[in-house]
Amino acid sequence: MQLLEGERELILSTVEEVLQNSSRNREDLIPSLQRVQSKLGYLPALAMEKLAEGLDIPAVDIYGIATFYNQFRLNPPGKYQVKVCMGTACYMKGGEITLESFERRMEIEEGETSPDRLYSLERVACVGCCTLAPVVVVNDDHIEGYVTPTRVDGIMLEFEEADQKEEETEKETEEETKKTAAEGGKNK
Amino acid sequence: MNDYVNITIDDRKIKARAGEKLLWVALDNDIYIPHLCAVREKERSNASCRLCFVEIEGMARPVTSCTQVVREEMVVRTRSTRIDRLVKTAFELLLSDHNLSCRECPANGNCELQKIAKERGLKLRQKRFKAIERDHTVDDSPDEFAFDPSRCVLCGRCIWADREEAGVGAIGFANRGINSVITTFEGVSLAESICTQCKLCVEACPVGAFYYKKDKKA
Amino acid sequence: MSADSPMDNYEKLFEVAKQNEEARREKPRILLGTASCGVAAGALQVKEFFLKEIESHGLDAEVVEVGCIGHCYAEPLAIIAKPGFPAITYGNLDEGLVHLLVEDFLAGEDPCYEYALAAVDRNDVFPTFEDFPRGIYENKLILEQCGYIDPESIDSYIEKDGYRALAKALSDEPARTLDEVKASNLRGRGGAGFPTGRKWETSLKAGGDEKYVICNADEGDPGAFMDRSILESDPHQVIEGMVLCAYAIGATEGYLYIRAEYPRAVKRVREALEQAREKGVLGSSILGTEFNFDLQVFQGAGAFVCGEETALLSSIEGRRGVPRYRPPFPAVEGLWGKPTVINNVKTFSYVPHIINRGADWFKSIGTPESPGTAVFSLVGKVVNTGLVEVPMGTTLRELIFEVGGGLPDGKEFKAVQIGGPSGGCLPESALDVPIDFDSLHEAGAIMGSGGLVVMDEDDCMVSVAHYFLEFTQQESCGKCTFCRLGTKHMLDILTDITRGHGDEERLTLLEELAEDVRDGSLCNLGRTAPNPVLTTLKYFRDEYKAHIEEGRCPARACRDLVLFYIEPSRCSKLCNVCVGSCPTEAIYTRDDGLKAIDQEKCVKCDNCRKACPPEYNAVIKLSPPVLPPEKEKKRT
Ligand SMILES: Cc1cc2nc3c(=O)[nH]c(=O)nc-3n(C[C@H](O)[C@H](O)[C@H](O)COP(=O)(O)O)c2cc1C
Ligand code: SF4
Ligand code: SF4
Ligand code: FES
Repeated sequence: MQLLEGERELILSTVEEVLQNSSRNREDLIPSLQRVQSKLGYLPALAMEKLAEGLDIPAVDIYGIATFYNQFRLNPPGKYQVKVCMGTACYMKGGEITLESFERRMEIEEGETSPDRLYSLERVACVGCCTLAPVVVVNDDHIEGYVTPTRVDGIMLEFEEADQKEEETEKETEEETKKTAAEGGKNK
Repeated sequence: MNDYVNITIDDRKIKARAGEKLLWVALDNDIYIPHLCAVREKERSNASCRLCFVEIEGMARPVTSCTQVVREEMVVRTRSTRIDRLVKTAFELLLSDHNLSCRECPANGNCELQKIAKERGLKLRQKRFKAIERDHTVDDSPDEFAFDPSRCVLCGRCIWADREEAGVGAIGFANRGINSVITTFEGVSLAESICTQCKLCVEACPVGAFYYKKDKKA
Repeated sequence: MSADSPMDNYEKLFEVAKQNEEARREKPRILLGTASCGVAAGALQVKEFFLKEIESHGLDAEVVEVGCIGHCYAEPLAIIAKPGFPAITYGNLDEGLVHLLVEDFLAGEDPCYEYALAAVDRNDVFPTFEDFPRGIYENKLILEQCGYIDPESIDSYIEKDGYRALAKALSDEPARTLDEVKASNLRGRGGAGFPTGRKWETSLKAGGDEKYVICNADEGDPGAFMDRSILESDPHQVIEGMVLCAYAIGATEGYLYIRAEYPRAVKRVREALEQAREKGVLGSSILGTEFNFDLQVFQGAGAFVCGEETALLSSIEGRRGVPRYRPPFPAVEGLWGKPTVINNVKTFSYVPHIINRGADWFKSIGTPESPGTAVFSLVGKVVNTGLVEVPMGTTLRELIFEVGGGLPDGKEFKAVQIGGPSGGCLPESALDVPIDFDSLHEAGAIMGSGGLVVMDEDDCMVSVAHYFLEFTQQESCGKCTFCRLGTKHMLDILTDITRGHGDEERLTLLEELAEDVRDGSLCNLGRTAPNPVLTTLKYFRDEYKAHIEEGRCPARACRDLVLFYIEPSRCSKLCNVCVGSCPTEAIYTRDDGLKAIDQEKCVKCDNCRKACPPEYNAVIKLSPPVLPPEKEKKRT
């Protein structure tokens, strides 16, 4: 995975900060990884190496842990993340079908991030809202219940709209900054 | 406390050092028990290969001999219908995920799997389970040895050698479940990793997964 | 302060708590269920509606976020407690209902009984949940306060005699606490039912001055959410139980190991720990005594196998969550090699009650061998999904049909899955089995941690077995041969069967392999993984046969063995609903106006069948997947 501009610095400073708040015992390893991931969205190789140095353990052990637990990801997540619950109740009420609908709409397989890093799709073990099955978790904090394939279309539409809006505001601010920059230039 | 205990294995009376694990006592007395994962120096065996089962009088279930400490008057059977069935299944399961190409394998003739097959009258070419398909690539980056994951039985002995004997920490387990592998950090080649090429892993490997490269075109 | 006895110190806390809580009650209060189940149903939006309405009516009322009262089928739920009225529960809240309740009840005097579910306490106006038919079967001990107290306020817990058991225990020798727990015959609720007192005693006797107490809140069993609900609704109950255990065995440190997927539970527990330290019921010199014990939360990182106690320990120690061979058991050599008691959330929750009311009281509930209650999350094809607590010994039939209200939509009961991926599927004929550790074990299922899934005629037992096995296969740590490779081959065989590719020989192999994986695996994940397969083979073998011999799925659930078909004689021609519902545009209109499905395009998502208006019900599933011969010609 190619690091984007500025990412290297961000990774280094994040690990630095996490290490500073750590007792540097092995016991702190998993919580440290969790903190790094919650800041960066994933565990870049560089971060694992730096943590290994900081905690004085073989880097391959961190790699072993990162690939063992479901929570950790080695690749950056999409901007819109969907996790489809595969608990018993969700499965019985059609979770598999929901997952497939997302795969179709996002044009990626479960476990992948779309090439433009816009979407990522995962399956999760029971999120504990069985009575609302089938359930999906959107962007880690928002739980949607009763997600039928039709609702999948709705959710995707919401993503698209949100993204468009964001692009527009981005453009606007860009134009604005351009304008002010231009004006600033004039003033000079 | 006595330094020795008296036990019986397959009707043979044996004097064993107290505290010793049953597997080593049997092997030292030329009683073969199949085993892949146990390391004598290791206090606690991984007990992961599930080949070293024996029956002990008074115990309801077969136990792994690599974890079982000998006790005074213990009566042990290394063979029984139950044991043979478990060992056969474990063995065949391992082979269903093993690249069986003995003729090309450098470990041919010096392989623990072949030994188990011979001792227990099991077939290497098992038919019960479909072969598990994978695409593994051989890492032949080190100067004198190479690693072929398609032959690895995940016993973990190479990791023990890497950590405890060599004190390096270049290799370890990664992934989970059926996707478990022996690997370096981020899966880079051994030559690119912190591996010192001490070759202790090759010595440790009971099969031909870590192996010495033949002298060029010998 | 420390000169006072622990009970004196407690009484002071109690007085303060009572005053604070009474003051809170002077205002009308809305106790809104915001456990994960409620939040998922939209409770946080409902909170906004309440706040908005309260403000626009210029009222002085408090909205309190509480936990889950277990009636999850009616979420979002709230209890409205207005001075002068009985506290009443309302379900299925939405913007309109909130408006009505605030306007008529809070601003006015009309409690809108027509929308009420039940009253909280007995009164002469409105029935309580206990007056429901299911009330006679339920007996809430550890769920009693869930959803009724404010989980974010320790006073709310103390006021209900919370931490009184701790004060009582601290007034006496630690041995008294241990004796009481031993005498109560409490058995672990994490699955295996191991006697809790015995485990504690082992740890006590293991010696050493460093010991740990760990609460196993990994609850990875898909379809179970009791532990989460208790942590979110009544966190102090668990904490008090853990402090009592620490006192009994002489531990100074402990952890709550909580699943990563439970962020709300983590948050509430962390807050609760903070408050407990402030009140002096946790941390150093607890209740003014010389007893010190502190707790912290460890968040799991998502691995079902970490619920297994030795894997859990590896995980806290910063390693891959891989089980190890036992013995030594954690009670003797646990975290960092020190004696460690690991108990389930529910197990700890019973302890304060046992200390308060005594072992004899506890033994008077349930059965002699399994005293106390059983807590289940009831899900699947059952009317009243949610959390239930019944005395041990209640039969499955009573639980499903009386407490659970039976199956919805007039469907036929087929099986009940108990104990999740380690448990088994029991048929109709086993419904009179009493729920206790030993009877369930005999029937081939296990108590497990309490997931209970009801299945009806539309559920295929082969595919259910496949589902659970797929789960364990994916969650296998991969350490040992049987579980890593055995479950994989079992799953492959099952997959073939659900696709109609099985044969008799491989069915036999499946069964043999299942037995070997059960007998040969290292830990209980592998040892119990075959249970769903073995029980379905035992009770529903004919379904396996139908798949293998006829290529037919009797429940019409296995997607490779069904096809979707629009019955020409039922299709209305005029309605177009199915066409729009299909995500792959597989439905077209034939020349004669009837709708039909292009089988090449159909992904079998079931949308059209659900969309077809009930008066036509024209979309049907056929198994084996063979189209009926065209009847058009005959008609002409
Ligand atoms: C694969 C597996 C998963 C488990 N998951 C849990 C769990 O989520 N919660 C739990 O309390 N016990 C779980 N257990 C059982 C624990 O190993 C342990 O027996 C239990 O926490 C002991 O507590 P108890 O005595 O209170 O039942 C699991 C066991 C296995 C083998
Ligand atoms: S490479 Fe050899 S020693 Fe290492 S785990 Fe595989 S089989 Fe065992
Ligand atoms: S039974 Fe499964 S989970 Fe348990 S040690 Fe073996 S591989 Fe790991
Ligand atoms: S040698 Fe005992 S389990 Fe491998």
